[in-house]
This record gives sequence, structure tokens and C-alpha cells, in this order.
Amino acid sequence: MKTMTMDRRRLLQFATALGATALLPRSAFADIISEATITGSAETTTGVAKSGKLRIGFSNGFSGNTWRTMALAQMKNEAAANADAYELIIVDGQGDVAKQVGDLDDLIAQQVDAILVIPNSGTAVVPALRKAERQGIMTVPFNLPVEGDTYSAFTGTDPKAKGAILGARLNDMLGGKGKIVAFGGLPGNSYSAGVWEGAISVFAPGIEVLAQKDGYWEEDRAKIIMADLLAAYPQIDGIFSDGGQMAAGAVKAMLDAGRELVPVTGDDYNGLLKLYESNKDDHPKFNIALVSEPSWEGVVAIRIAQRLLAGETVPKMQIISPTEINADNYKDYIKPDLPDGVFVDTTLTDDELKAMFS
Amino acid sequence: MAWTRIRKLAGQVAPIWLAVILLYALAAMISPAMLKPEQVANILQVAAFLGVIATGQTVALLLGGIDLSVAGVVTLTNIVATSVMLGSNDRIPLAILVCLVLSLMVGIVNGVLVTVGRVAPIIATLAMNSVLFGAALIYTDGSPYGAAAPAFKALAEGRIAGVPSSAIWWLAIALALAYVLRRTTFGRWVYATGANGRAAYMMGVPVVAVTIAGYALSSTLAMVGGLLLTAYIGNPSLGIGNPYMLSSIVAVVVGGAALTGGQGSVIATIAGAIFITLLTSLTNIAQVSTGAQFVIQGVLIAASVLLYRTLEIGGQRTM
Repeated sequence: MKTMTMDRRRLLQFATALGATALLPRSAFADIISEATITGSAETTTGVAKSGKLRIGFSNGFSGNTWRTMALAQMKNEAAANADAYELIIVDGQGDVAKQVGDLDDLIAQQVDAILVIPNSGTAVVPALRKAERQGIMTVPFNLPVEGDTYSAFTGTDPKAKGAILGARLNDMLGGKGKIVAFGGLPGNSYSAGVWEGAISVFAPGIEVLAQKDGYWEEDRAKIIMADLLAAYPQIDGIFSDGGQMAAGAVKAMLDAGRELVPVTGDDYNGLLKLYESNKDDHPKFNIALVSEPSWEGVVAIRIAQRLLAGETVPKMQIISPTEINADNYKDYIKPDLPDGVFVDTTLTDDELKAMFS
Repeated sequence: MAWTRIRKLAGQVAPIWLAVILLYALAAMISPAMLKPEQVANILQVAAFLGVIATGQTVALLLGGIDLSVAGVVTLTNIVATSVMLGSNDRIPLAILVCLVLSLMVGIVNGVLVTVGRVAPIIATLAMNSVLFGAALIYTDGSPYGAAAPAFKALAEGRIAGVPSSAIWWLAIALALAYVLRRTTFGRWVYATGANGRAAYMMGVPVVAVTIAGYALSSTLAMVGGLLLTAYIGNPSLGIGNPYMLSSIVAVVVGGAALTGGQGSVIATIAGAIFITLLTSLTNIAQVSTGAQFVIQGVLIAASVLLYRTLEIGGQRTM
């Protein structure tokens, strides 16, 4: 395994190196931050070269959780380091589908050069993105999918692929046999649906799904639901979760109920790593298989926008390969001195995180 | 006659208790696990958070008002308590004191807005909720930190004779408040103000003070609910209060309180909170989707209000 983290200085050098590369070989496109690779699609978009100081707008769907806060902090760091090249204008949709569409219209009216967006709704933002495109504004949605192809480029992870990895690892941890309960995020969200679709496509025939519940990506919701499930099912051999907070909540419910801990899946939520660290010795069956959701996705999105605004040709879909965290390598990721809410796959330094979480 | 006495007594018990028994029987048929002592304890534990918050909400509804800011109070309590406590037992009293002061301020401002400011309660408390959620975001800058102290966790997670201590807190608070509302002058003032504020004022009830005290009680109990929830989860979470804005009102309404004020009881709200928690628990166990859970909850709210309207001729219930 290579060195796990890349600090911002190295990221910057990397950005400079990319800027110097006039033309990237399309099929071999690979961007590296941390140890993840980014795979580009064959389909490409050619940008329009703009001169002078650029203005890049970012329409954030909402900002009420740690992941978004960390994502935003990394984007601001990136923008501060490139303050002479562009200005980053951030607007917040406050979790409201309609407000975000209004935000996008505002950015279009301000004639920004590029728009980045994490959509609250993958369908509701489409007309606004189309309008931006017609006015020559580059659009780069990231993190959550957008319906259709009315954008310049997209970056993020592939929920289905993540689900397939988590499903396969849960299979392995359970030896292909066992009763499991599953947790997804907000009811009806497309990300959880994608992860679950990927997972059930790989579950071994011996895996029996007792229940699949919506845990809202929150510890408290998952803990309350898990307490009910524990009462209903005397035997639960594994927990499938697409978020680490819900896995942590479920594990805490098992601890409260005095049950022996079992293998769980999740993401790079620090609280789950801490729970694993402190309970693994007392619970030999406790195991983790996690795939991170990198909070530096926004930095990749900014760089894609920059490249488009330099007139370069970029892959339309840039999928970030999953970084796996498990019993063997979790010590490289865990941050014992930082709060549970931190997502550990980040380019923020521990000092920056400490300053944020205080 | 014994029979009329029984009928009179039955008439005083809110139908929600019957609904709780029926739902429990149904739940036990669907999943025998619902009868296990651990599951009964679990339901009481989870019902306690909603129960304490809904107890406060009952006072707001009795006054003919409503308190939508309970969600913001729960979230802010969770954020402030964990960040002040920082996982250390020594800091528990300070954390509780800060939360108490905050919640009293919130309740008093709500009450002043509604009485002196003549702002409709639904608007005043909705605005307050928005302010509180915003304050939690500003305070944490989106990155909440801190944790509940070990001794504080024991406060909610401990068991006394098998009963979760959070449930004991809840029942003690609800019974004490039931006594205050039924047996003290203040209680009579609350009912009188809610039934007809103008008439109460003419009779010399200090309507403004009673209303302000009522809102202060509501937000303080929301704070206590937030503390119990914090003890249960142990961590800060910016979304933690959201489910309680509506569910606290639902618990009071299925308990038979009228949104027009002056009618309802804290004891019936206990049953209302158990009913809602039991329903969620049952739908969790019975593999009902989240969508269907929302539909069932909505239908039950409408049905219970219709039912109470039909039963209204039954007269005043005290339990």
C-alpha cells in the first residue's frame, strides 16, 4: 500500500502538473488524490477557453451535516490557494429543491463561468443546467447523480459499484451465510437505492435479509430501529449499511442489548472506526468492511471546471474508485483525537479538522 | 350501582388507552417478540423521549396554542449539551444549566410573542424553530463536536427494576404535571385560558403570565427530552430534533386534546406517546416501508380527530 494521504501541498503540485499537461490521453485518464483513482468515460466534453479571472459558482444542496461541511472546507482551501485564477461563489439551497433551482438561476444571471452543484433533486435541477449550458456556462454536478446528460462533466462515486463491493465483503465476512439487517439513508434517495441494488446483486444465496430500513444517515434513527429489530430477531449475523453513522447506531443498540457484535459495512465515519477499535477485543465476531465517500470530491469538481475553462477536453463521467477500509488498514484512517462526526477520507489535516470541530 | 360506576370510570379514561391495548395485542400477534420484557422496556425507553416532549406540547395545546419550536430546542440541547460536556462527568451540571437557561429563554420569548406581540402561535414558534436550527448551525459551523459524559449516559440508559430510567423520568414528570394541571390554581388557569382566553381574563386569570409560563414549560420539557435523547445517543447530531416537531403534536392529538385549546390531558398524552412509538416499532418489525409508515401515521391522525369529534358528547375526561 502506498502512502495513504496526500497533503495539500502535494495536491497543489499535482494540480500544477496537470495544468502543464496540454492534452491528456483520453483512455488513460487517471487523476489521483489520496490513493483513489478516477476513471474517465470514453465520452468527452470540450470546454471553452476563457481569459482573465474566472468566476466559479457552487450551488450546495444543503449544509447541515459534517460531510458537507468538510467538503465545503476543502473546496474553500482549494479556492484560496488559487485565488488569482478564480473566485468561488457559494450558494446554499438549505435542503429545499425549489430554493436550489432559484440559486442556480441566480448564478446564471450573474454570468459565472462555471457552475458546480450537489443536487437536492437529480431531476429538478435539469432545466436550470440546460439553461446554463445554452448560455455557455460549464456545469459540473458532483457527489449525487443528475438525471440525463445535460451537463458538461460529472464526478462522484458509483453507488452501485460501492454496493457491490460492500455486499461482496459482507459475504466474505459471513462466509456466504447468515441473517442480516440493512440500513439506507433518507427514504427514497437514489444513492441508497443504487448501493442496495449493487449489494443484492452479489449476496450469496445463504444471505437472508431480515429487514431493510431507512436510517436517514443518522445514528439516533438507526439505533432506535435496531433496538426494535433486535427484539424481533433473536439472530442477526450481520449489518449492511450504506453509511457509517447508521452502522454505529446499530452497533450501539447491540451493545445496549448485551448482544455479541457482528460484521458491519459502512463508510469512512470516524465514530464507527472508534467503536471498532474499542470493542473488537471483546467481540471476536465484530468486523468492518467500509468504502469511503471522499469529501474531497468538490476539489476534483473545481479542477474539472478549471480544465474546461482552459478549453481542454475532459471525460464526461469521472468516477472515483472506492477506497476500502477494513480490519487490516483501519489504523491508517482512524482519528482517535477527533470527534465521531469526522469523515476520515479527507485532504484536511488533523490540525485543520481540530480547528473546524471546536 | 356498580355498573354505572364502572361506566362512569370508563368514560373518564381516554379511548387512546383502549387503542394502545388493541395495538399491543395486534403487535403481539404479528410478532410475539413484542411481548418480551426487553422489548417492552425498549418501547418505554424510546417512548420516553417523545413522551417528555409531548408532555410539554400538551400544555401548549391546552392553552389553545402550539409549539413547533420543540424540534429546534431538542437539536440545540443535543448540540449544546455535548459540546459543553465534552465527555467529562464534571461538566454535566454546567451543561444542564446552560440548556435550562436557553430553553427558558426560548419559551419566554415564544410566550411574549404570542401574548404581547399577538403573533399567531404557529408562526411565532415556527420562526423560533428556524432561529434555533440556524443557531445550532452557526454554533457548530456545521461540524458538531463533543460527546455525552459516561455518568450522563447512565442517567438515561440505566435500568431500575428492569424499567429504563429515562421512562421513569418521563412518567414522574408527566404525573407531576398532571397533578399540577388538575389540582392547582395554575392548572385551572391553563384550562380556562385555553377554553376561552377572554372570559378567563374577565374572571381575573393572569392570561399573559399563564401563557408565557405554559410556553416556558413546553420548551423546558422539550429540553429535558433532548437531554434524555442525548444520553441515549451519546453524540451530537444536527438532525436529531426533526422527527419531534410533528410526532409530539400527533401524540397529544391522538391522546384526545383539541387543537382549539382547553381540552386534553397529560395522562392521555402518555398513552399517545406509547401509541406512536408502538406503531413505529410495529411497522419496523413488520417490514412496513417508510412510505407506508407515513401513510399509516397520517390516516391515524385524521381518524383519531374524527373519532374524538364523534365522542365529544361524552363529556370531560380526566385520564
